[in-house]
Parts: sequence; C-alpha cells; structure tokens
Amino acid sequence: MNETFVEVRGAKLFLRRDGAGEPLLFLHGVQGLPGWTDVLAKLAERFTVIAPDHPGFGHSDTPDWIDDVGDLAFFYLDVLGALANGRVHIVGHSLGGWIAMAMAIRSTAQIQSLTLIDAAGISVNGVKRGDMFIGSPAETGKLLFAGEDVATRWAGLWQSSDEMKEIYDKNRAAAAKYTWQPRLYDPQLARWLHRIDVPTHIVWGEGDFLIPPAHGEELQRLIPGATLTRIAGIGHLGDIEAPSAFAEAIVPFIAGLKP
Amino acid sequence: MKVLFFHLMPYADLDLDYQKKYRTDWVILPNTYFDPQKGHALYNRYLDELELAAELGFDGVSVNEHHQNAYGLMPSPVVTASALARRVKTAKIAILGNAFGLRDNPLTLAEEHAMIDVITGGRLISGMVRGIGAEYYSMGANPAYSHERFHEAHDLVVQAWTKPGPFSFEGKHYRFEYVNVWPRPYQQPHPPIWCPSLGSGETVDWASAKERRYVYIQNFSPVASVIRYLNLYRQTAERLHGYTASSDQIGWAAPIYVAETDAKAREEAKIHIERLFSKYLNLPFEMMFPPGYLSINSLKAMRAIKRPAIAGGTMTIDHLIDAGIFLCGSPDTVRELLVGAHKKLGFQNFLANLHFATLPRDLTEKNLRLFAREVMPALQALTDKEWQGMEVAAAE
Repeated sequence: MNETFVEVRGAKLFLRRDGAGEPLLFLHGVQGLPGWTDVLAKLAERFTVIAPDHPGFGHSDTPDWIDDVGDLAFFYLDVLGALANGRVHIVGHSLGGWIAMAMAIRSTAQIQSLTLIDAAGISVNGVKRGDMFIGSPAETGKLLFAGEDVATRWAGLWQSSDEMKEIYDKNRAAAAKYTWQPRLYDPQLARWLHRIDVPTHIVWGEGDFLIPPAHGEELQRLIPGATLTRIAGIGHLGDIEAPSAFAEAIVPFIAGLKP
Repeated sequence: MKVLFFHLMPYADLDLDYQKKYRTDWVILPNTYFDPQKGHALYNRYLDELELAAELGFDGVSVNEHHQNAYGLMPSPVVTASALARRVKTAKIAILGNAFGLRDNPLTLAEEHAMIDVITGGRLISGMVRGIGAEYYSMGANPAYSHERFHEAHDLVVQAWTKPGPFSFEGKHYRFEYVNVWPRPYQQPHPPIWCPSLGSGETVDWASAKERRYVYIQNFSPVASVIRYLNLYRQTAERLHGYTASSDQIGWAAPIYVAETDAKAREEAKIHIERLFSKYLNLPFEMMFPPGYLSINSLKAMRAIKRPAIAGGTMTIDHLIDAGIFLCGSPDTVRELLVGAHKKLGFQNFLANLHFATLPRDLTEKNLRLFAREVMPALQALTDKEWQGMEVAAAE
C-alpha cells in the first residue's frame, strides 16, 4: 500500500492507494479512517483503491477555504481532475456518501458509479438520527456498532498511540465543522438528487442507530434508478464491524457495471 | 477595589435525585424538572438578593448566561439586568457575560446592551464570552467556529457601538447591509468590556491587547490558577503588547461563604457548596468540550488533567477550601485571605458568589450582610499601594 500527499489548490491531501483495476475513490465517514482497513484491502483485490483523509481529517491539511460539504464536493471534483484517473467509482461511507452525492449533483463527468453506504446528507421526517458528539465513548460506540466487542476494540484503537489520539481529536473537530448544524444533513441536498445520472447502489447496516435505515429508503426514492441492499446485524461502521459482508455487498454491483 | 455580587440563579428546587435517570443537569435533563411556580418564587428571591446587595454598598451586581440547565436560570441575562436596571440606583450592572457569538444575530444583543446602558445612565458592564461547551449543543451553534464567531461578533458589536451608522458589515459568519444601532450606548466609546474565563492563555492574550485592554476575570478556579492567569495578563501586556496594564484590568470571581466562626461557616455551607459541583456543575467531558471548541493543543492539555478542575465529581468542602476555589470562614479568615491575595496580585475587581446551589434564602442574606459589613469595606479600601508589585511576584 502506497501513502502519498497530493497537493490540490494549495491544500495537501493524504492518500492511501493500492490494488489494480478500475479506479475506486473511497470517501470515509464522520469518524475518519484509522488506516488501511480490511475493507480497503478487500476492495483493492479488485480495484485501484484511492482512499484520502478528507481535508481537516487524519494527515490532511485543514484549509480555511473549506467550510462545508459543498466546498468538499467541489474540492474532490478538483482532486479527481488532478489525479487524472479517468472516470472513477465512488464508494462513499457516512459523511463520504454525503460528499459523493454533493459531487454527483454538481457533475458526474468524472464519475462512473456511486455506492452510498449509511450515507449522511438528508433528513427523513420523523426519523431521529443519533448524536455522536454528546455521549461518552461507550455511548457513542452503541450508536456506531450493532455489536459491543467491536465498539470496545474501535475505541481502543484510537487510544493506542499518541498519534492516534491526536488524529481522533482532529477528526472529531472536522466532523463537527462539517456536520454539526444542521446535524448530519444539508436541507438543500435532497431537492437536487434527481440530477444523479450514474448507476447508484445504496447499502445500509440494519443496526445503524446514527443514521437509521429509513434514510437509505428515502435516498432510493430520490435517486433515479438506485438500488438498495440492507445488511443485517451491522451498524453504522459496517466496514469495521463486518469487513467481509461489507465488501461482498459493495463489489458485485461495481464489478457488474459495463464500462 | 471594586466588589460586585455575582448571582448564578440556579434552580435550587431541583430534584437532586435526577442523576438516577440522567447523567447531567445540562442540555438533556427534561425541562419538566422545572416547576414554573417554584421558578417564580426563585427569580423574585434572587432579584431581591441582587437589589439587597446594591443597598448594602456593593459596587455592582452581576448576572450571566447559560442555556438549558439547572445550574443557572438565565438564558438571557439581559432580562435579569433589565429587571435590575431601575431598581438598582447607583451600582454597576454587569452582564458577565453574554455569548454574542452563539447568536446568529449578535446585533440584537448589541441593541439590548445599549438600551440598558442608556436607561441606567452608563452603569452597564458588558461581558463577552464564548459560552461553555454545553451551550453549543443547546443553541445549535457549531463549536468548530466558536473562536471565529466570538471574535467576529465582538468586532461587529464594538463597531456597531462606536462607528457612526449606517454602515455595512461583511464578515465570514456575519453579514449585514445596515448596521445602525439605535440607541447608541451612553458610555463612550462603549460600555466596559469584561472577559470572564476559566483560565485561557488565548483569552488573556486577546483581552490584554493594547487596543482592547479588557478586564480579565478569572472565574471559579483554584487559587494557583488565579495567580497564574492574573500575573500572565500583566506579563502579556508588558512583554507582548508593550504597555503596563492597570490593576483595574484584572479581577477574580469566587464562591464565598462567611459566618460567625470558621467552624460555623463550614457547617452551614458544606452541603450547598458540594452540591454546586456534584449536582449543578455536573458536566461530562464531551459536553464541556465539544469537538472544535478547544484547539487541538488546548484539548490535549485538558485531557492530560483527566477531569477538568471544576466539573462534576464529588469534591468535598475541604478540598474546595484547600485549593482556594471556595473562600469560606469567619469574616477575619476571609478578609485576610482576600487582602493577602490582593497583596500578591493587586487585582482591583472582585466578584463574590455569595449564593450557590441550594443555599437557602436566610443563609444567603446572612452571608451577604456579614460579607458587606465585615469583609467588603477592607477590600474596597485596597489600592495599588497595598500591592507588592510585579517585581516581587516575579522574584518569588
């Protein structure tokens, strides 16, 4: 696996890259990426996986001209232009799904397909999302995972070194910047989702208490031709909780697309 | 020295068993725990206490802002300050503070402060704060923009008070085509601005800047922090900003209880002061410091302490007194403590929290009267002559 920085419009973006095949941009969620996860490794068996830390997260810069998901969307369209990989498959998880949709309503010229997993970005009337900021680490773990052991392991992972602790705080601050108010959605996003004109697959963990599965159904209604796959027994962080099931839910859709 | 009575107006009738069901009395404690009938009695009692303080010769009375909690019932200190504006005849009225940057439109606060200043003939002290972390949950304000919005709201409000209107303001967070605040404040160029803080080098640096020279108040802190930050203010003014700060630019706010003897003071205050920390200021880390509220470095420092010095837990009265967070004892004891602290630090403002948590009306009034009669005159007589000076402090 190759780790590099790419500079786009003066901001340094940290990229992890591995694999061969068609390019796949993996956009991580509100929790950030703890590293090259099992899911990324599985996806890299089939695709050229490019997994950045979003601006403000992980090892990437925090440019003062990126304030919200709309800015992130334009920025990543510029990133795609700079990487010049041709048209990419985007797999967007949580916040990353929101960014992917915000990119696609602006332009799909560089996008082959969208895979939206437990995506933030919209609000569903009468369905309450969880608050990942207010609770103790244990309470937040319950929002993010269906199982308890994995929640404990996940919390421990971010405490495993001084560097990880620092990245944890940095990621939380960036997550707040992009998602605090309105919490985890943009009221204007839903009204433009009809513009998405690339194949779209929605994947949801049935045990997601941060962004409950009703959001997936609503996205399917709003995005033309989108399909929906539910995975039983996993929560918001399905990539961490059940990497194999997660990868199996993602890969066939993308691999089955005609170039 | 100027001595002010600072009231927090807690919901003293709180069901103290709330922790069996809720982990905090902030943000998530249902407002069904608040009984409006009892609230009516409490507000009026607390306003009576503030008015009494003014009659007893305090230089000022002070109120503050907190949202959605049992710790302080003043989501709008403008309301309490307004209620005092005509009943308190000569003392200053201090709003310490208002969180201008929590508002989507800080100009409404600028207008309200200007109104109080004009109504009172220039007796308003205007406190500017960021608001504590919990406020960012209850007000739906993004903590990641807390510093930016605080500074921008400050710039907007000070311009609105000082620059002839109408003018337009184009900031990152605030944009107004017409800034033209009527009325203009009575005090020129504007009411004094005070910055109460739990201890922040960033706030000290900002408040002490030459063009601002705002009063820095160290609030609710161990005496070691009071020494550290008040001296830091003078050092920062001298070394970084190139001028000698006046002693009027620094102050200390602390809970105080005086009674006839040390033993009696401890006995009467114990349960109430311990409740202040264990029941009312019961803030989990995530609510005290939401992400982005502190810089990464400040957050790292805060994590190193494990638990912030002021929040939650079971602090005993002995610990609170030993750490110098709570000043408690006979009038002689408390007077000596404060005169001694002044000799060391030279601060010319002191805010006395003479009511806290569930302290009942009779004890509050006794505390107020005894402090005003036996302690306050000695403090009000203190000038820079009684201060040992920075050279001695630096040599220590």
